[in-house]
Amino acid sequence: MERRRRVSNILSLLLAWPPPPPPPRSSLPTIWERAEMGPYPFGSGTAASGWTDAESSQQSSASEIDGLLVGAGYRVRSSDLRHVAQSLERLESAIGGAPADHLAAAEAVHYNPSDLTAWVDSMLSELAPSRRPPGPLPASPTAETWPDPTYFPLPPQPHQMAVVAAGSRQREEEEEDSAIRLVHLLMSCADAVQRGDSGLAGTITDEMRIALTRVNTGFGIGKVAGYFVDALCRRIYSLSFSSSISVAGSASEYEILYHHFYEACPYLKFAHFMANQAILEAFDGYDRVHVIDFNLMDGLQWPALIQALALRSGGPPFLRLTGIGPPSPDGRDALREVGLRLAELARSVRVRFAFRGVAASRLDDVRPWMLQVVPGEAVAVNSVLQLHRLLRDPGDDAAAPIDSVLGWMVGLRPNIVTVVEQEADHNKPAFLDRFTEALFYYSTMFDSLEGGRCAAQQLQQQQQTTMAAELYLQREICNIVCCEGAARLERHEPLATWRARLGRAGLKAVHLGSNAFKQASMLLTLFSGEGYGVQEVDGCLTLGWHSRPLISASAWRADDNVAPPPDNQLFSSSVTASVPASTISSSDNNSINF
Amino acid sequence: MAGSNEVNANESKMVVPLNTWVLISNFKLAYNMLRRPDGTFDRHLAEFLDRKVPANAFPVNGVISFDLLIDRATNLLARIYRPAPTAPPDSHRPSLHADLQSPPSPDPFPVIIFFHGGSFAHSSSNSAIYDSLCRRFVSLCGAVVISVNYRRSPEHRYPCAYDDGWTALKWASTEPWLHSGKDAKLRVFLSGDSSGGNIAHHVAVRAAESGIEVSGNILLNPMFGGNQRTESENTLDGKYFVTVQDRYWYWKAFLPEGADRDHPACNPFGPNGMKLEELPFTKTLVTVAGLDLTRDWQLAYAEGLEKAGHDVKLVYREQATIGFYFLPNTDHFYEVMEEIKNFVSSNC
Repeated sequence: MERRRRVSNILSLLLAWPPPPPPPRSSLPTIWERAEMGPYPFGSGTAASGWTDAESSQQSSASEIDGLLVGAGYRVRSSDLRHVAQSLERLESAIGGAPADHLAAAEAVHYNPSDLTAWVDSMLSELAPSRRPPGPLPASPTAETWPDPTYFPLPPQPHQMAVVAAGSRQREEEEEDSAIRLVHLLMSCADAVQRGDSGLAGTITDEMRIALTRVNTGFGIGKVAGYFVDALCRRIYSLSFSSSISVAGSASEYEILYHHFYEACPYLKFAHFMANQAILEAFDGYDRVHVIDFNLMDGLQWPALIQALALRSGGPPFLRLTGIGPPSPDGRDALREVGLRLAELARSVRVRFAFRGVAASRLDDVRPWMLQVVPGEAVAVNSVLQLHRLLRDPGDDAAAPIDSVLGWMVGLRPNIVTVVEQEADHNKPAFLDRFTEALFYYSTMFDSLEGGRCAAQQLQQQQQTTMAAELYLQREICNIVCCEGAARLERHEPLATWRARLGRAGLKAVHLGSNAFKQASMLLTLFSGEGYGVQEVDGCLTLGWHSRPLISASAWRADDNVAPPPDNQLFSSSVTASVPASTISSSDNNSINF
Repeated sequence: MAGSNEVNANESKMVVPLNTWVLISNFKLAYNMLRRPDGTFDRHLAEFLDRKVPANAFPVNGVISFDLLIDRATNLLARIYRPAPTAPPDSHRPSLHADLQSPPSPDPFPVIIFFHGGSFAHSSSNSAIYDSLCRRFVSLCGAVVISVNYRRSPEHRYPCAYDDGWTALKWASTEPWLHSGKDAKLRVFLSGDSSGGNIAHHVAVRAAESGIEVSGNILLNPMFGGNQRTESENTLDGKYFVTVQDRYWYWKAFLPEGADRDHPACNPFGPNGMKLEELPFTKTLVTVAGLDLTRDWQLAYAEGLEKAGHDVKLVYREQATIGFYFLPNTDHFYEVMEEIKNFVSSNC
């Protein structure tokens, strides 16, 4: 088992692609140039911020971010340092000296620790001073006490690379060499594909098939490489980039695979959990709440929320759930069936519940009036791994579906928008770049499937679940590798890009706090193998494997500073419905069809 | 008497720059919230608050980093830092791990195995403050730096951290690309701050016992203690970010149940310490901050090495506090970095 595992990660062959153009250098010399210039001067502090912060370049140094604290992971404006220092002192006095007092502080919810100013202020406001400070408050430091620090900005660090396996024992060296060769071949083949040299690409696929025989394709690099070789072959040997070359399958097959993926690893559970937490908090105080799920599937996410609402102090609200999903081909109304099951559950825990299904092949076919948002209800929009499907090629000037969907979504003035996305950059324009990124990402994913299994599960069942989970991932791989244009739906983009995009659309981040983080961490320790880790990044949470984040969860709300579109665009019923909708209400168990 | 040994509680503000004061005070307050009186530790909140940075295989100031799983059994991660490899001549081929795990230069180069601080309980190899420090070591010494993500207390007590350190050293000794010079030697330095310094010492002892040659130890404010109360603990208690009580908490969390601070892990030259005279123990560079309340223990450590006949260079910074090496904004920082650079180059 050990030996397998050592070889398995070879993959994560660190493939560092030619670096992007270096970030613009600051006007200040680097640290070592300064050192050669002689003793650094205290009190000279002109700063150039290392952050690509739009405002900083135009303003004076005082309101710029302290470059040294950036290196320590904190963003504090220089002009705020004194205030933060004073607040830290007050916070210390407020907490008090005894260890038991610190527990109260620990129980507080913390948000976005990088923003030290906000953290200290929120801690202070949350912990009302419970006792008098032991003596007079220490005198505030005067200007002369604190020399202005000099600033040595660090450029932003973009990428996170997958974990590389170490240490090959003698017996594995051959396999390792074959595996390295296989990865070389994959890269060369992808390069040939990018350059349009299909002859060469075809030749290389033959070599790759041979190379596959020399590695163990049952696990690790062999397995991942196998899927990528397969995907490349599909691309090279197909006549067009239509979806027929992607891994075909019915919607119900897809749901089964999705289920197994849900079981095999914690990513989807984490996603649902984080989203539900944020939704629950946003619904606090509302009697009528409405969840709009961008992809209902089997409704796996909602029993937990229904139960949490049932237990809410003050009693549960009236919950409406609008589930969007593809139309069922065979005359079934799959959405309605899910709605019925959820209604049954809601009834059993005494939560007033109404369900509406909106059948749409694509999210951009949905019109806001179909969702029937009612004034006065709290609205949550929930998107788990859906938004990336609305993107197009970066640099494609034509309006992408994402823009219209975000537009009406923001127009709903949602109380909360929960967004879960793969933490990967699979929408790069150049094929080789995408291919490389995907190789990294999925190898880490596959490694986590193998390595992260809970010891408690039955071995055979585990294997079946893992295999099905891999098939689920295979579909994504094929879509990324084989498809182009509108057929390529798996256009994953990293959290930083989503942040910018959602911000431009008029959404403001709602920080996920330490309580959500703690619960996620605890659940991970209970239910998943070691190696998974939750990280907090600027108010969002990511779940990853061995320090590589693989999925991110974030929460948003409409930015009050952005004017909503006029109501008539949202609620116009003059637009003809192109898709049917059905409604189920738990109170009368009749289905009302429109 | 002219001038008392008592120092004003506000003194800490007088001796460190503003941003350093903010940084270390923030740690102090946050850490207070994590240590529970019953000896347990709020690990989830600790991980939430710890500022981490990802590895980055794209050069930043000429340094790249990547994470490596060096022992599956214990999920032991390490972050490797090294000078950016020279670009492959054929720019169409991306550099593979074969290039990253290749010698940074044809000449002999040092390998620094680094153990981050945190009193055995806090921080990780991907903590921002330690990522910055390790990158600096690469630039300073032309070294490959291996930052070990050792298991922390209270979940993992003595000797887990030492075992992990030993695993890292053994791993390095089997990696061909880390060996350099005509004699293909691993020119390894063990290094760490606070608890990391303590770990470096104990791994060096094991190395000496096992015949693995270590070129030098670099200990920054290493964490040692003992049952006795020393003068510096009395006079500096609570004055410069650290209290005696928090030190006691961390030792209790790390040492075996029922052990006291004269356990050799904590007090290597105390009543239960082992004799180092006969061992081929490596040379040591120790920095001691004069305003660190455990300064007397650190000075005793240096003295103990000397008495055992081993080479030790003591760099005593009278006006420095804990954590002076985190931000490059004091004389202490630059002069100590210079000492480290010289120590490494003369012993490589």
